[in-house]
Amino acid sequence: MKESTLFVDDISVVKEGVPILQEVTIKVAPGEIAGVLGRNGAGKSSLAYALMGVERYAPLQGRIWMRGEDITDLSITERAQRGLTLAWQHPARYEGISIRDYLRISSKSVTEASMEDALGRVQLEPRYLERMLDKNLSGGERKRIELASIFLMQPRLAILDEPDSGVDLIALVEIMNLFRDLAENGNSVLIITHREDVAAACDRSYLMCGGRVVLEGSAEAVKRYFMSQCSPCMDIDLENSQAEVR
Amino acid sequence: MPSGAKEYHELVGIARKSGDFSGGFEEEQGAYVVLHANAVLASHTIPGIEITSSETAEGLDATITVLENCHLEKPVRLCFGHLGTEGVQRINSTIHIEKGARATFLSYCIFPNAVEFLHAMEGNITVEEGGEFTYNEIHVHGQEGRIDVRPKTKVLLKDRALYRGDFTLVEGRVGNLDIHMEVVAQGEKSRVELTSKVYGKYNDSCKVRDIILLSGKDSSALIKARVVLKDQSSGSFVGLIDGAAPGARGHVDCAEVVQGEARAEASPVVRASHPEAEVTHEAAIGRIANDKIEGLMAKGLDEDEAVDIIVSGLLR
Repeated sequence: MKESTLFVDDISVVKEGVPILQEVTIKVAPGEIAGVLGRNGAGKSSLAYALMGVERYAPLQGRIWMRGEDITDLSITERAQRGLTLAWQHPARYEGISIRDYLRISSKSVTEASMEDALGRVQLEPRYLERMLDKNLSGGERKRIELASIFLMQPRLAILDEPDSGVDLIALVEIMNLFRDLAENGNSVLIITHREDVAAACDRSYLMCGGRVVLEGSAEAVKRYFMSQCSPCMDIDLENSQAEVR
Repeated sequence: MPSGAKEYHELVGIARKSGDFSGGFEEEQGAYVVLHANAVLASHTIPGIEITSSETAEGLDATITVLENCHLEKPVRLCFGHLGTEGVQRINSTIHIEKGARATFLSYCIFPNAVEFLHAMEGNITVEEGGEFTYNEIHVHGQEGRIDVRPKTKVLLKDRALYRGDFTLVEGRVGNLDIHMEVVAQGEKSRVELTSKVYGKYNDSCKVRDIILLSGKDSSALIKARVVLKDQSSGSFVGLIDGAAPGARGHVDCAEVVQGEARAEASPVVRASHPEAEVTHEAAIGRIANDKIEGLMAKGLDEDEAVDIIVSGLLR
């Protein structure tokens, strides 16, 4: 537990009377890029919100540990100040804020050069710094700006919720390079995705279904299982899988 | 030190915080008028603009004309203020933008110490054919006390004339604000854009009434209001555009954000008095969406810091 960047210990979340996460346990090691794979509605984003500390997703049971500290009862801000952050699947639209000002929020030590570098890593030119977040940006561009913002934060653990969605122009390998850069110096990344090729590029993956983690193993093994066995819902059959059933 | 020099420097110093100039008005080489209570402390004109004014018992009557085809490169700066805690200031102005003329006026209304004060403005503005006029009114009030602010403006637009009005009151107490704006876009292809940005706190009361009649063929209008209310403040917004001519186009866009025990109402009124007119609206009242606050908190800001950033962006 103590050696993990993140240790999610048997958490369950109920929203409006409906269980949306059930007895979820996952670990992310220092320097690791872990994936959470699953179809729409599997509970992946709910897991991300619970980990980030969104009140509406507070666990009814179980604990969340980060680098040996129990963060279950901490607020979003307190978690972020400890180095946990989330790139939301749908970044909020902030009116009247320039991209430069938005990136400056990421870290007190950002410079013009570091902002330009971060934008370059997501294939955006420096002139984007002048543009407004709520004016004429595509969904893909907003997503890239969010990734640049996360990169500038250099968090201990970045949770990236569907980081590839809408980012058609960036090749997967380039996205993964950004994640690898994020995971330098012992930092970790948890990627939430419904794309098996994204999950396969991780070091290790979890498969979620119906609010539960149903499979854990090497990214390649989880991908193979997902592609061969996962219809919208499934019965687990791991006779031929190299992954570990939960 | 000449009479009124202290007041002049204090008023201009506060105006300077708006960030659009760095020295004194006199260094900007544009036209300006600085009024404290009912005393004109300084004024300057440049070729292309005529300013006549007379002090009244409670303020000033002024007539300003921008001459035909004159394009003023520098904004005309008007500073109406009072450094006292109570009193009355009434400004009556007539502004005439002649044919083909272009001008921007920046009006600073500064009442940093007002506790019981009435600031009333009555303006009549005419923009002749092909003229373009931008009027930005920036208020700076103190953090305590109450002030009654009653700007009432009538605007008449001729063919291809453009009027942009921007009212900002985001610093200090709003007090009792009652904006009443009436625009008649009677000229063909005339255009009007009205923007109001108000931040109400404590028990402030904010009323904004923007009324536009599009009686000119192919005339167009945009009304935009951004109102943030917190504590026990209240706000009401009425934005009415009447499309009364063929090809008239209008849009009303109002967003009010409420926090604490604040109350807000919005009435976007769209009327098409002519069958070939098209007027649309959007209005939203609500608290700041959770995802916006949480998005910034995930970057390490606390909730209050996140709200401040969101509000300042909304009112920018």
